[in-house]
Amino acid sequence: MKSNALRIDSRDNVVIATQPIGKGEAVVVNGDAVCHTVEDIALGHKVALAPIPSGDAVFRYGEPIVQATRDIGRGEWVHVHNTQPVPGDLRE
Amino acid sequence: MQFPGYCREDGGFGVRNHVLVVSSVSCGNGVVEAIGRALPEVVTVTHAYGCGYGPDDLAASRRVLSGLMNNPNVGAALVIGLGCEALKAESLAGSVRGKPAPALEIQKEGGSAATTARGVAIAAGLLQRLKAQERVPAPVSGLVVGLECGGSDALSGVTANPAVGAAADRFVAEGATVILGETTEMIGTAHILKRRCATPQLGEQVERLVNGCESQVRATLGPLAGMVITPGNIEGGLSSIAEKSLGCITKAGTTPIVEVVDYACRPSKSGLVIMDTPGYDIDSMAGFAAGGAQLIIFTTGRGSIAGFPAVPVVKVASNSRTYENMPGDMDVNAGSIIEEDRTIDDVGGEVFDLSLRVASGERTCAEINRCAPFGYLKQGPTF
Repeated sequence: MKSNALRIDSRDNVVIATQPIGKGEAVVVNGDAVCHTVEDIALGHKVALAPIPSGDAVFRYGEPIVQATRDIGRGEWVHVHNTQPVPGDLRE
Repeated sequence: MQFPGYCREDGGFGVRNHVLVVSSVSCGNGVVEAIGRALPEVVTVTHAYGCGYGPDDLAASRRVLSGLMNNPNVGAALVIGLGCEALKAESLAGSVRGKPAPALEIQKEGGSAATTARGVAIAAGLLQRLKAQERVPAPVSGLVVGLECGGSDALSGVTANPAVGAAADRFVAEGATVILGETTEMIGTAHILKRRCATPQLGEQVERLVNGCESQVRATLGPLAGMVITPGNIEGGLSSIAEKSLGCITKAGTTPIVEVVDYACRPSKSGLVIMDTPGYDIDSMAGFAAGGAQLIIFTTGRGSIAGFPAVPVVKVASNSRTYENMPGDMDVNAGSIIEEDRTIDDVGGEVFDLSLRVASGERTCAEINRCAPFGYLKQGPTF
């Protein structure tokens, strides 16, 4: 299958859409379907590979980039509406 | 692993064998340019500095221009000064080691025409002499590779930077040095970089560097600090500043940070080194070149075309549209990760292989186009 998402690091729990992925479509990484989306995912945006409980870290590049502000389900869009920067990330 | 390089007296190896004609002060630019017109094979370096500022900027000028002349890609240098400037041509030329570096002062030589004529004769002689020098087997571990990103777009952190990170890891595996700069683009990852340092002391040094940079941005820009410290392109998918900055630092790969150096200073270790440079590409590359980088790998989304004098710059486009739109300016299309379903490691391998060919003599787009803007960090007031 042609890939439509990219995973940078094996620790990542999200992948990045490399083209728009429609609701209900398969998310394909390195030729393998890893999950199905529950909503539309825009190019460059993140989709959860596995459930991310509220408060847990979202990993990209093998590092925590944000934390979930509510429970996030597999195949869900992950962005500023359901995450926040990890407290203490910035000096302020 | 080896590549054919030019041997230098200090044991280093260059990937080029340039004659550099450089002005010590902007008043010398006209003569430098005239020499360049007469001898297109030389690399000319002109700039807006050399006089009229305080000791810190003077020291930085000296470090950058001296560092550039001492770069292993330079086989010989010729310094053109005026005579009354703060940064004296003879003093600057005197800082060059292991290669010919004469200096001419326009006021001593009898004016610009006379200096140009004498400069052309000297530079022609240097070119002749360097032509006789052949490439010899050189270790890849002798390479210092600067890593730069500019004109980034939403895909830079998806395709080009991870691919260059894979190439950076390969360079480090071969014993080479790779330099990560652009401290403003590390903001938000101080705690992450700290963890990646080889020693706790280095960790604290990096944390101080990045946090200090963040404070300076806030102090200088005030309410406009958001221009620098933002998640970047929220519409493009970036959810936090940490994510944005991680997208930048990923071009340095995954190996431990072994050293932190000041702007334009030479790394002393093999492996991944952090240099404190600004986000502004030209000034940042000047820091790398003055620090002895023989090669720079530069990712771009929107299409930065800048090379650098005497240092080949490999351009890696993050997306196919930029690559296809600017075919004579981009060396690698990391957008092929998306269009052609290639892996990050695939393209990283392509970047690594091309970099070795460039080290061996193949010219980059920026070299062919002679696109080599020059400038460097100046921070203090002008008087």
